[in-house]
Amino acid sequence: MASASSSKVPAASPNTPPDSCDVLVYGTGLVESIVAAALAWQGTNVLHLDPNPFYGGLWASLNLEELKAWTDKINSPATNDTPFSNAYLYISRNLDPRKYAIDISPHVLFTRADLLNLLIQSRVSRYLEFKPLGSFHTFEQDSFEKVPGTKEDIFTSQNLTLLTKRSLMRFMKFVVIWDETPDVWLEYKGKPISLFLKEKFNLDEPQIVELVHSIALLSSPSSPTELALDRIKRYLSSMQVYGNFPAMYSMYGSGGEIAQGFCRSAAVAGAVYRLGTKLSSFDDESGVAVLDNGEKIKVTEKLITSYGLLPSSREITRMVAVVEKDCKEWFAEGESAAIVVFPPETLDGNKYAVQALVLGSGSGQVPLGQAVWYLSTQESGEQGRKDLFLALEKMEESILRESTEDFEFDVSEEDIAYLPNGMPVVSSVRLGESLRNFTPKESLKYLLKLTYTQKVTVPPPQPGSKTIYVPAPSIDIVYDGVVTRAQAIYEGVTGTTEDFFEVDFEDEDDDATATGNPPDTSIGDVADIDDEELGDHPDFDEEVAGEMTI
Amino acid sequence: MSSVEAAASAPKPTASVKLVLLGEAAVGKSSLVLRFVSNDFQENKEPTIGAAFLTQKCSLPNRTIKFEIWDTAGQERFASLAPMYYRNAQTALVVYDLTKPTSLIKARHWVNELHAQASPKIVIALVGNKLDLCTEGEGEGETSTADDDEDRRKVSTEEGRKFAEEEGLLFFETSAKTGANVRDVFLAIASKIPEEIINKRSGTGTKGRAGAGERGVDLEPRTSESNAQGCAC
Ligand SMILES: Cc1cc2nc3c(=O)[nH]c(=O)nc-3n(C[C@H](O)[C@H](O)[C@H](O)COP(=O)(O)OP(=O)(O)OC[C@H]3O[C@@H](n4cnc5c(N)ncnc54)[C@H](O)[C@@H]3O)c2cc1C
Ligand SMILES: Nc1nc2c(ncn2[C@@H]2O[C@H](COP(=O)(O)OP(=O)(O)O)[C@@H](O)[C@H]2O)c(=O)[nH]1
Ligand SMILES: [Mg+2]
Repeated sequence: MASASSSKVPAASPNTPPDSCDVLVYGTGLVESIVAAALAWQGTNVLHLDPNPFYGGLWASLNLEELKAWTDKINSPATNDTPFSNAYLYISRNLDPRKYAIDISPHVLFTRADLLNLLIQSRVSRYLEFKPLGSFHTFEQDSFEKVPGTKEDIFTSQNLTLLTKRSLMRFMKFVVIWDETPDVWLEYKGKPISLFLKEKFNLDEPQIVELVHSIALLSSPSSPTELALDRIKRYLSSMQVYGNFPAMYSMYGSGGEIAQGFCRSAAVAGAVYRLGTKLSSFDDESGVAVLDNGEKIKVTEKLITSYGLLPSSREITRMVAVVEKDCKEWFAEGESAAIVVFPPETLDGNKYAVQALVLGSGSGQVPLGQAVWYLSTQESGEQGRKDLFLALEKMEESILRESTEDFEFDVSEEDIAYLPNGMPVVSSVRLGESLRNFTPKESLKYLLKLTYTQKVTVPPPQPGSKTIYVPAPSIDIVYDGVVTRAQAIYEGVTGTTEDFFEVDFEDEDDDATATGNPPDTSIGDVADIDDEELGDHPDFDEEVAGEMTI
Repeated sequence: MSSVEAAASAPKPTASVKLVLLGEAAVGKSSLVLRFVSNDFQENKEPTIGAAFLTQKCSLPNRTIKFEIWDTAGQERFASLAPMYYRNAQTALVVYDLTKPTSLIKARHWVNELHAQASPKIVIALVGNKLDLCTEGEGEGETSTADDDEDRRKVSTEEGRKFAEEEGLLFFETSAKTGANVRDVFLAIASKIPEEIINKRSGTGTKGRAGAGERGVDLEPRTSESNAQGCAC
C-alpha cells in the first residue's frame, strides 16, 4: 500500500518549475488525470501539463469565451493535434460568457459504474456534486415515450399487451443473472442483440428498440448480444442505488469537471501542475521534453499524451444547442436532466441512433430558464449533421407543444393506468397524437448552436517506446472504458495494476465509510417480481446478489 | 419565534462552510491552516494536506460553523488553480507575505477574481502573514522571533488595511509561526457569515450549495458525523 505521507515536498523553491520528472503527463483529460493521480499517490514524481489555459483536455467544459477560442483553434488548418474539426458556432448576443459551461464530450454516470467506485475510493467524489438522471425517453412514431425501466412502469404501461408484459418480465428476470446463465445466450455471442431478444424472448420491435437504444444506450441494433445484456443489466441494477434513477451527472460539466477533481487529488499527492504550457518536442530516446518557452525537462520513465494526431478509424458528429426554455416537461420531478433517444430509422432513414442529453439550469451549465441539448451520432459527414438537425427539429416541436399553455391536452381513458396498489396515474409523457398535427404558436429561441465532428482515435501499439498515447473520448455517453484505459496506462508505467489507487488516507478528516463502493442494494428488486399474474418461470432463481466491485 | 427562546430550547444551528485559501505560493497559506487546525508549525516544509479538505469547527455563542478548508495543494504555483477549487466558496482567506510586496499585488488579483467568479455574499479576509519577521506594529507582548532583530517588513499595515477597507474585506496581520492572530481570523470570518447561509445549509455537507435548485446526490451516506474537533475559539 502506498502511503500518503511520502509526498511531503520541500518548499525551497516553490516557483521554479521542475527540470525533471518520472512521468510527464500531457493533457488534463479524464483518463490522463486519473492516471496522474494514481501515479502520484503511488509515489511517482508526476509533472502534468496542458497546452490549454483550462483543465479537461478533450473532455473540457468551456465558458463561451473559451468555446469561441476552441472552435477557432480546431478549425484552423494549423491545428493538427486534436481529433475535433469542422466546427460551426452560433452564439446569440448579450450572453454572459461565464454563466455557461459547455461540455465538448458530454457523459453521464450510471450508479453502478467502475468510475463511481473509483471516485468514492479516491475521495475525489467529495470535490464534486452529482445530480440524478431518471428520465429516459424513446422517440417512436413521432412522440416521446418514457422508457419503462421498472416493473411498475411495465405494470402500468397501457400500451403493452399482457403477452408482451409477460415476455418483458421474463426477460428482465433473466438479464439480471445473464452472466451466470450462459446456456440461454451463448449461441448468440457476437450476434445482434435484436435477434436474440426476438428469438429467445419473443419481444416485439418497440420493446427491442427501447431495450437496445434507450436502456443499453447503444447506437445500432446489431450490437453484440453480450455487450447489450451487460448494459441492460447495468441500467436495471443502477436503479434504486441512490434513489429512483439509474444515472447521474456531475454539475458544471462532465468529464472535464471530474478530471479537475483527479488533478486536485494528484496535486495533493505532490504532482506539479502547469496549464497553458505547450510541449514542442519529445525525444523518445533520451526522454528530453522541450517546452515552447525553451525549457528542457528530463523525463526518466514515460510521456503520457492525449495530444497529437492518432490513427483514426471513423468520425462521429456532435451538436450542442442552448435554448431559452427550461425543458422541465422532460424531466422527472425534482430533476434537471433527461435523455432522449432517436432509434435508427426514426429520422428519415438514420442508420444509427441519435442520443440527446438535455440538461436544465439545475446542472449549473446554463442560467435559469434555459437548457442545453447535447446531441450525438456515430454517423459522419453530411449525413451525420442531417440526422442531428432532424432530431433537433423533433425536439423543438415536442418541447413547444408540451410547454404551450393553451394547448388542450385531453386525457382519454386509455391514458390512465393503474399502479399495483390500485392508484390511477396519467401516463405523463405519452402524448398520443402525432406531432405533425400540432403547429406551434411560438417559436423556440436558440441562444447557441454548435456542430462539430470528432475522430475516434486508436492509439498504435508502441512497444519499447517511452511514449504512451491516450485515445480521445469515445462517442459513448457513459464513461465505460475510462477506468480500464487508465489502469492499462498505469500498468504500462508501473508494470502492475495491483496498487492502482490503493491509498491509505492517514489523516481521516471525518469518519466516512470509505469503502470505495456505493451503498449496498440488491437488484433482487427487479428479479423479485411477483409472478402470480404473469405465470411461473421456475427456471429463474429469485435470489440475485447486487454486489459489483471494480 | 424570538431568538432568545430559540437559543434556549433548540440546539445551536450548525453550518458547513467552504473556505478556500488564495495567494501567491510560499506566503504561508498551508502553514496558517496547520496552525488553525493542529496548532502546529513546520519550518521549511510545505505542510501536506492529504485529505480532500480539512474540517474544523468553530463554536460561537449563537452558532457553530464547520469550516471545510480547501488548501491549494500547490496548484497556484504555475497559475493552474482549477475553477472547481474556488467555485461555491462561501469564505476565502486571501493571504500575502508582509515581507514580499509582490505578494500583495497577487492578493489584489485574487480579490478581483473572487468578486468576478464567486458568490456576491462571500466573506473574504485579507491576511498579511509572517508578522514574526517584522519588529514593530505587532501589538503582541512578544517581540520579534527574527534571528537578527532585523525588520523585514516591506508592506505597511496601513497599505493592507486601506486595500481591505476599499474592498470591504476583513483584515488581519498574522504569524503562522507564532500563532499570532491566527484564530482571530477564523473567528472573525465565522461571525461574519450571513444568517441566510447558516439557515440554508444547516447540517448538510458540501452538497446542495447555492445556485443549483434541487439537491445533489449523497454518494457516501455517512455512518456518523463525529470527530471534527471543536476549535478553542
Ligand atoms: C506531445 C506530443 C508528443 C508527440 N510524440 C510523438 C512521438 O513520440 N512520435 C511521433 O511520431 N509523433 C509524435 N507526435 C506527433 C508529432 O507532432 C507529429 O505529428 C508527427 O511526428 C508526424 O509529423 P508529420 O507532419 O511529419 O506527419 P503527419 O503527416 O502528421 O503524420 C504521418 C503519419 O504518422 C501518424 N501520426 C502522426 N502523429 C502521430 C502520433 N502522435 N502518434 C501516432 N501516429 C501519428 C499519422 O497518422 C500518419 O500516418 C507528438 C505530438 C505531440 C503533441
Ligand atoms: N517566519 C515565518 N515563516 C512562515 C510563516 N508562515 C509560513 N512560513 C514559512 O513560509 C514557507 C511557505 O509556507 P507555506 O505554508 O508552504 O506557504 P503556501 O505555499 O502559501 O502554502 C515555509 O517555509 C513556512 O515555514 C510565518 O508566519 N512566519
Ligand atoms: Mg501550500
